[in-house]
Formats: sequence, C-alpha cells, structure tokens
Amino acid sequence: MRQTRRFVLVSIGCVSGLPLMLAAGFGFCTDTRVDGTAAKLRALVADAPAACALGRSYRARFPEEEKQAVLTGLLCSSLGLGVRGIAAQDTDALLSRLDSRVREDFSCGDTVQVNGWVLARTEARLCALCK
Amino acid sequence: MFVDARTLPQRFVIDADVCIIGAGAAGITLARDLSSGNRKIALFESGNFDFDADTQKLYAGEVVQQAYIPLDRDRLRYLGGSTNHWQGSCRPFDALDLADWPFGPEVLEPYYSRARDVCQLGPDSFDPADWSTAEARPLELGQGSRLKSGVFQYSPPTRFGTVYRNDLATAAGVTVYLNANLVQIDSNESASVVTGVEIACLNGKRGRARAKNYILAAGGIENARLLLNADRVQKAGLGNAFDLVGRNFMDHPFVPAVATIFADDASPEMRFYDQHVVRSRIVEGYFCASDEVRRREKLPPFAIGIRSANAGIDAGVGNIKLPAVLRNLLSDSLDRKVAYYLPRILDRLETPVTWLYNKMWRKPPGRFVTVYSCGPDPDPQSRVTLIDDVDALGMRMCRLAWRLPADFEQSMHRAHELLAQELGRSGIGRLRIESSSATGYDPMQNLGNGSHHMGTTRMHNDPHRGVVDADCRIHGISNLFIAGSAVFPSYACDDPTLTIVALALRLSDHLKSSIS
Ligand SMILES: Cc1cc2nc3c(=O)[nH]c(=O)nc-3n(C[C@H](O)[C@H](O)[C@H](O)COP(=O)(O)OP(=O)(O)OC[C@H]3O[C@@H](n4cnc5c(N)ncnc54)[C@H](O)[C@@H]3O)c2cc1C
Repeated sequence: MRQTRRFVLVSIGCVSGLPLMLAAGFGFCTDTRVDGTAAKLRALVADAPAACALGRSYRARFPEEEKQAVLTGLLCSSLGLGVRGIAAQDTDALLSRLDSRVREDFSCGDTVQVNGWVLARTEARLCALCK
Repeated sequence: MFVDARTLPQRFVIDADVCIIGAGAAGITLARDLSSGNRKIALFESGNFDFDADTQKLYAGEVVQQAYIPLDRDRLRYLGGSTNHWQGSCRPFDALDLADWPFGPEVLEPYYSRARDVCQLGPDSFDPADWSTAEARPLELGQGSRLKSGVFQYSPPTRFGTVYRNDLATAAGVTVYLNANLVQIDSNESASVVTGVEIACLNGKRGRARAKNYILAAGGIENARLLLNADRVQKAGLGNAFDLVGRNFMDHPFVPAVATIFADDASPEMRFYDQHVVRSRIVEGYFCASDEVRRREKLPPFAIGIRSANAGIDAGVGNIKLPAVLRNLLSDSLDRKVAYYLPRILDRLETPVTWLYNKMWRKPPGRFVTVYSCGPDPDPQSRVTLIDDVDALGMRMCRLAWRLPADFEQSMHRAHELLAQELGRSGIGRLRIESSSATGYDPMQNLGNGSHHMGTTRMHNDPHRGVVDADCRIHGISNLFIAGSAVFPSYACDDPTLTIVALALRLSDHLKSSIS
C-alpha cells in the first residue's frame, strides 16, 4: 500500500540543515543522548549493510557531516523534532515523518547522488548514520 | 500504374507535371495526394516491390566519428522505403518543438489530422490523460512539476509500399517507375531552374525525365547526397551556394538502461511508460521536461521511457492479450530490444536501497530500466559529405559524421535526476543512474541511433541559414522541392514520420495551387 500523498513545499528543508541544528541547541547535548537518538533513527533502517555502504560514500562526499552528533542533529532538525521529540515517537510515527520529509526533499530538489542512487538528502543522511 | 524502368527503351524520355524521386512515406503520400485526372505524376523508385541486395548496396556509405548503424542496413531501398521496417511510433511536434520553424503548430495541425489517417493512427488525442486506464495511468505530476508526461501512439506500423500499393496502381495520372534511380539533376546555367533529371537502372538502361516541378523524397541522407552529386553547374552541389547542404544532420540518440528504477511491479504508473494497449491501440508514455524547465535549464527536448527489467524486456506487452495481428507486428522490434537490455540487467541486481522501500512500503520492489532519447540542437559539424568512392551507378557515396553535443551525457543525467525527484516525491520508487564509476556499467557503450535522418536540407526563410524555404522549395531554384525530415530545422524528441507525412500533404497542397 502506498502512503497517501502528503507533501508540502517546506523551503526550510531545502537548505543544508547545519545552521538549523545549532539553532536547535543540539550541540549542547550529551554523548549518551546523541547515542540514544542515533540508535533510534538507525532502527528505522531495515537493511543495515546496504545502508552502511551508501552511508560511507555519502560521508566521503560530505566530510563535514562525518560526526554522528552532526548527522543526528541534522536529521532531528529536518524531521522537525528535538531529541526529546524523537524519544517520544514510536517507530511507525517516526517512519511516517521520515516519509513526508523524504518526499519534501524530493519535491524541492534537495537530492544527492550516492553510488548512482538519487536519494533525498534526509534518507542519505540516515544511511550515513549507519556505521 | 507501375512500370519496371528496366523494360523501357534505352535513352527513354518521360514527361510529367510533377516528378517525385523516392517512394517512401513522403513520396507515396505526395503521389497519392497529387493524383488527379489532369496532372501527370511520375514517381521514380530505386527499388522494386521487394528487397534486392544489389539495389540495397546503392545505399552503402562511410560512417565516421560517432558509431552509427551502417548506412546500407539502417535504411531500406525498395517500394515503401524505410517504412518497410519502421516501428510506427508517432507523435506530432508541439509549439515549443516548432519554435525554430518558419511556421507554428496552427499551420501543421490540419495536415497532422490527415497524416494520422495516412499512418493509420487512432483517435486524434496525444493527451496522456485520454489514454489513462486503471492498469496504466500517467504519474500525477501536479502543478509546478519539473516534468510532464507525453504519449506516443503506434501506427500498426503502416508499411507504405504494401498498404498503398493498390492505390498507386490505380491512382489517376500516377505512374510509378520501379528500379529507376535518379543519378543526376540538370539545371539551367544559373542553376535557378531544374531542366530535367537522369534516371538509371542497374541493368544499364538510362533515360531522362522532364517535369514542371521536381521533388526529392529519397530520405534524409539521400536527399543531401543527390544534391551534392548534382555538381555540373554549381560545383559545390545544387542548392548549396551557402555550404549548408548535408550540414546539421541529426538523429535521435537512443540510450537504453541509463538508470534502474526500483518501484512497485504492479504500479499502473510504471506500466504507462512502456508500450501497452489501450482500446486496441498501442501507446507508450514518456517523461519529458516541463516547458518551464526546458527553457530555464536549457535542456534538449528529451523523452524517458520505462521498461520492466524483472521479466525480461517487453514482458508488459507480452502479458497483454494483444490481437494476434498486433502481436506479430510488435515482434518486429523484439530482437533488437532483447539484445539491448537483457544481458545488462541480469547481473546488476544488487539493491542498496531496497531497505528503505521495504521499510516504508512493506513490499518488495520491482525493477525497471529507463530508455532515453533526445533531440539536440542543430550542429553544422554533424554532417553528410561525399567521398570519392562511387556506387554501381557511378554516383559518389556519402560519409556520415554524426556528432552529439559535448554536454549530451550531462543533460541525460540531469533528465534522470529530475525523474528520480518526481518518483521520490510521489512515493513511486527510487532511481539509480548507471555509470562506470558508480555501478560499473556505462550506458553510453550502448548509445544507438533512432534511424531518424534529419536536418541536412533544413528549412529557413533566410537562404544563409536554410536550404529550403517555408514551402520546402530550395532557395534560388524555382521548381525543386524537398520532402522528408531533411527539411526539419530542429528535431524535438518526437519520431519524424508523422511530421514527414504532414509536410508532404502540405507540399502537395502548395503544388496543387501553384500548378492550377
Ligand atoms: C529500424 C527503423 C525504425 C524506425 N522507426 C520509426 C518510428 O518508430 N517512428 C518514426 O516516425 N520513424 C521511424 N523510422 C524512420 C522512418 O522509417 C522514416 O522517417 C521514413 O521512412 C522516412 O520516409 P521518407 O519517405 O522520407 O524516406 P524513406 O522511407 O527512406 O524512402 C525513401 C525512398 O527513396 C528511394 N530512393 C533513394 N534514393 C533514390 C534514388 N536515387 N532514386 C530513386 N529512389 C531513391 C528509396 O528506395 C526509398 O524507397 C524508423 C526507421 C528505421 C530504419
């Protein structure tokens, strides 16, 4: 079953999320909280080895996003959730958010080519989180 | 009436009102339409009713630069011309496609309407929505989308030599001379009027034809070759005062398996962009850039089609209960397609993002490949010239140097990126662009040509920029016309034959009024 078409042109998602992450204050989080959030995001991925392979290529292309804290922060802000928000969501709710975020990325052309795949920025970052 | 020119007396002379060279889609359409009790039409066809190897060899030539199907294999030289093996894909040019033409779509529209009948097409509509069904429907692209959908309709495909043979046999005032090759065009001393043409047969018979008007309808490469060979008065060739004859040659580059798409196997949206049958008609959707994106990004007009990669190529068509006759006609192209796709698909099934797909849509994705074609801008260096070697009738052969724009691959990738974004936005699937660096397979290895020979005698009101004027008359020559895709000043990504037929009907109307 394909999900209903819910896509909104959110210009904020079209630009790199780095400044947003800082604005969200993610930089001040503790390592444990980052680890927990990253793990929860990683759990959205079904085929970890495949995602890892893509993630490696993504990180090589964007070394400024190499760090887990940076990637986690970028993902949180593009999903429109803080650390607590992520923690509060169940997997289905997170997947649904991810789905709409990914569609928004595609919609506004915020895509990146990784190993030939044209991926939404957000899903590419999710791959990059899988090490 | 048909006459075998080999049976005519040596040094025969034929007089007519209109002399047409070549009985392919253009020549046959002209002869049928010009037919009337009070006009004498002589149609000279190089071949016979069927294929003959010696006649076919007259098409031999040299290919340099970009790889191209050998010239004596691409085209066919007998009654019906290359329509004896065309695939029948048709679509009219739209306003943007005709932007560089001396007239707009409103001028062509009435002729397109008649051309559809000649090509045995279905209802007038080329609007994808009109061909949408529950099983195969165009992707909903929404306002502001960077892509739009189009649709090709398939002719049965009409074999002009077979379908219209009876018409030609009985058409009032029409005589078709078979095995009759034009080998020279004579003109007055200022090369402003054609005074006659020389006709030769492979059995040694030669003669002349004289007419008020002459039309070259020998195909997009051969028309240029005939003009360049007609060098008795103008050394550079007839109609070639500004060195334009043979230049701006273009074909539609065709690249199979540029990208792999992972999407729902049963998706009606995926089915729409492959050949399928709607109300007993074969149609095929394609993606192209929206007018806005085409202008803004300066992309060439392109068309991306989609083929199933799971069950071998044309599985879709095979699954449909086609009327037997249509199935036979379709099988024309099957070998070529299987050869293109199968070997390349089977060994590249690793699926790095199936995880995402599975996770979100919870069912395994199907695999598809894209096919890409485009109509690049005219390039004067892409051209047909003559070489010194001659054919069995003493005519200089031609050399084809087909050249593609330097940014061809880049545009192809950009087009696929746009498609990937639409597929992702709509939740249909994901797309991977193949390349030797990313996936170990370079689609450019399989770049082919669409066998659409265009542009060598392009149309322009200014004789410095075009060989023929808006009436398809060669600039500076009062009674010599060109029919066929050689006159296209730009190429769109639409197959040419429907437009060739429409232009032939328009030329016929022009001649009827000027003769009367
Ligand atoms: C494999 C293939 C697939 C194709 N598929 C499609 C498609 O799907 N859609 C589409 O729109 N187009 C397609 N085409 C192109 C289509 O066949 C041509 O556009 C069309 O046939 C051109 O018509 P024409 O009358 O200009 O030339 P032709 O059909 O080539 O006819 C020219 C005629 O002139 C004769 N001739 C040549 N030289 C001389 C001479 N010196 N004297 C006398 N007679 C001469 C030839 O024998 C021939 O009969 C395809 C072509 C090929 C080869």
